[in-house]
Amino acid sequence: MNYHIEQQMNLSQKLEILADAAKYDVACTSSGVDRKNSGKGIGNCITPGICHSFSADGRCISLLKILFTNECIFDCRYCINRRSNDVPRASFTPQEVCDLTIEFYRRNYIEGLFLSSGILGSPDMTMDLLYQTLYKLRTEYHFQGYIHVKAIPGADPELIARTGYLADRMSVNLELPTAEGLNALAPQKKRPKLLAPIRQVRQMRMQNKNELALYRHAPKFVPAGQSTQMIIGATGESDWQIMKVAEHMYKKYEMKRVFYSAFLRVNDDSLLPVLPGGPPLLREHRLYQADWLLRYYGFGTDELLSEEKPDFNLLLDPKCDWALRHLEQFPIEVMRADYHTLLRVPGIGYRAASRIVKARRLGTLDYANLKKMGVVLKRAIFFITCGGKQMYPVKLEEDYILRNILDGKERLRPGAGEQPVYEQLSLFDDPRFSV
Amino acid sequence: MSSCHCLMIRVFQCEDTLTGILTGVYDAWDSRLGHEHVRLETGAYEDMELFCEYVQVPPDLDKAGKVLRTIRTRLGEEAYEMIAYASACPHTRKADAIYRMIVLGLRLPDGREISRMLTQPDVQLVFELRRKAWHIAHRYMGFVRFQELGNGVLFSKIDAEVDVLALIAPHFADRLPLENWMIYDRRRQKAAVHPAQKGWVILEEVEEKVLSEFENSEKETYYDGLWKVFHRAVGIASRSNERLQMSFLPKKFRHFMNEFADSRES
Ligand code: SF4
Repeated sequence: MNYHIEQQMNLSQKLEILADAAKYDVACTSSGVDRKNSGKGIGNCITPGICHSFSADGRCISLLKILFTNECIFDCRYCINRRSNDVPRASFTPQEVCDLTIEFYRRNYIEGLFLSSGILGSPDMTMDLLYQTLYKLRTEYHFQGYIHVKAIPGADPELIARTGYLADRMSVNLELPTAEGLNALAPQKKRPKLLAPIRQVRQMRMQNKNELALYRHAPKFVPAGQSTQMIIGATGESDWQIMKVAEHMYKKYEMKRVFYSAFLRVNDDSLLPVLPGGPPLLREHRLYQADWLLRYYGFGTDELLSEEKPDFNLLLDPKCDWALRHLEQFPIEVMRADYHTLLRVPGIGYRAASRIVKARRLGTLDYANLKKMGVVLKRAIFFITCGGKQMYPVKLEEDYILRNILDGKERLRPGAGEQPVYEQLSLFDDPRFSV
Repeated sequence: MSSCHCLMIRVFQCEDTLTGILTGVYDAWDSRLGHEHVRLETGAYEDMELFCEYVQVPPDLDKAGKVLRTIRTRLGEEAYEMIAYASACPHTRKADAIYRMIVLGLRLPDGREISRMLTQPDVQLVFELRRKAWHIAHRYMGFVRFQELGNGVLFSKIDAEVDVLALIAPHFADRLPLENWMIYDRRRQKAAVHPAQKGWVILEEVEEKVLSEFENSEKETYYDGLWKVFHRAVGIASRSNERLQMSFLPKKFRHFMNEFADSRES
């Protein structure tokens, strides 16, 4: 640590370094909490979250996403901030983070703060700095906007607990999908150590639910839940393994979101793969689509993939891929099929499905109605009848459908797998985004 | 009654605001001509039709208020929100569709069903317009940029295709209760104004010139600069994707966003 250099740095230089160092964390959502302003102080939250800008890579900017410090005592191989790298280092003070947050928020640049950090000194010391920053924001400035903060593995559970009462979301990154991957690339991090705070937050959230049921005004603990992130393609796991881990995270730890981050080779390290095609963005995109199917469409990982077919088809979205392998279940009749069956039709998103269920009670639907409700007919027509009729004669054959769907060119937009598509913007209900 | 009269349609020309349209609904209903003999319109009236009798409807808060209460109690909050948002969208048929949606809803045993009757064309139009207005209003909740003026007031300009001021003002009033702020809609020359710790109001006929006289605060350039630094730093170069950025944040929104302006008009 070179305090000499640090002191000479102005806020702008620090911001540049610490925003740059934080950009590899993909989570930037501000969704999941609905909080009105108390009448004093500043800020509120709305459930769908809000995007305030988009960066040059097309990702939504919702939060002031920064590291508290990029000093780090660890040496994870994939990380730009690892100890052995010779990069400019900087640390904020809690006051500086408060100033930036409040002044950006007043100008409507951001929805709140995303505060992560390298490990400065020790996990306890780092967690304490994060806690102090949040404490100041929430109690001195009465800031009621969104806060996402990292729980530092290895830190005193008491500190994590106190911080959790000030934050909306907490996260610990799994970093790599499996313990073996972690051992190879981040030997100082142990899987059980990463899972400990995740388990603690889950437990405290459950307790908190009970408290809230008894006393409506009890303080809320991590109301927007936890999220985590895995790096894709740095180690050899299959999509099936990755989705299994994600499914486990959703079921066992009640994770709100799992994020997938295509591996970027920021360090020249012999243990890191060289990917000639650049970061595996399309693969990342497919994982996000599958993730969506797990969370909103009632699919299980084992329906989509298996040990024999461990990876997603890069040419076809996972739902279409599944449907083509289960043609015996189609076509389904839109006027009669239940909600869960509708959800399985390519081109019918969950909003369209619920609109169909509501509207058909009150009248007969035709294809024009379906289109207005957000059904993507280009994909759906192969799999449905409406009032007993096909829209026009199509064959229920794998090759035929495949040819027609691929002709219609699914617009693969590399990078579109980020949350703006799936979380933030999907709430605008744009039919383009239904899986 | 002459047979000629049966052919006549009376067109109620209302002001293009929620109050205007709801007043039109009141008058059209009150005319007792029968729903098939009335029509509601907003906007320009160049194409006068034969067999139509045109009447101007001056906006009337009392009449609109009565209709509003009926909508809320008989058709429910969902229908109310649909109508309020849809009325902010420019569309030639919107006033008439709103009228017919209300008429239809009041005939149902349970008026609340109306918001889900998407097989009905008028309801469908109102539904679509609501979706469009909400979509755009929601974007403005994020894309509005305030500048701090010398007197501490937070000031923002927008140029929206949909009349979003009344849709976004409640959001900012809740979010920034202790601030004096103002959002100016340049296209419509009106402003949402919020004095600290008070309610917000809409001021009509505010000239842009008047507003250009204010100077920014000293700190403004500083934070404006910091934001641009941040905005640049968060982009990942190896994932650079301007087309994607453009599809989420089209040019039309960027005009007043400081991170996209090299020199910003003050
Ligand atoms: S602990 Fe975090 S910041 Fe430090 S090297 Fe590992 S990944 Fe990077």
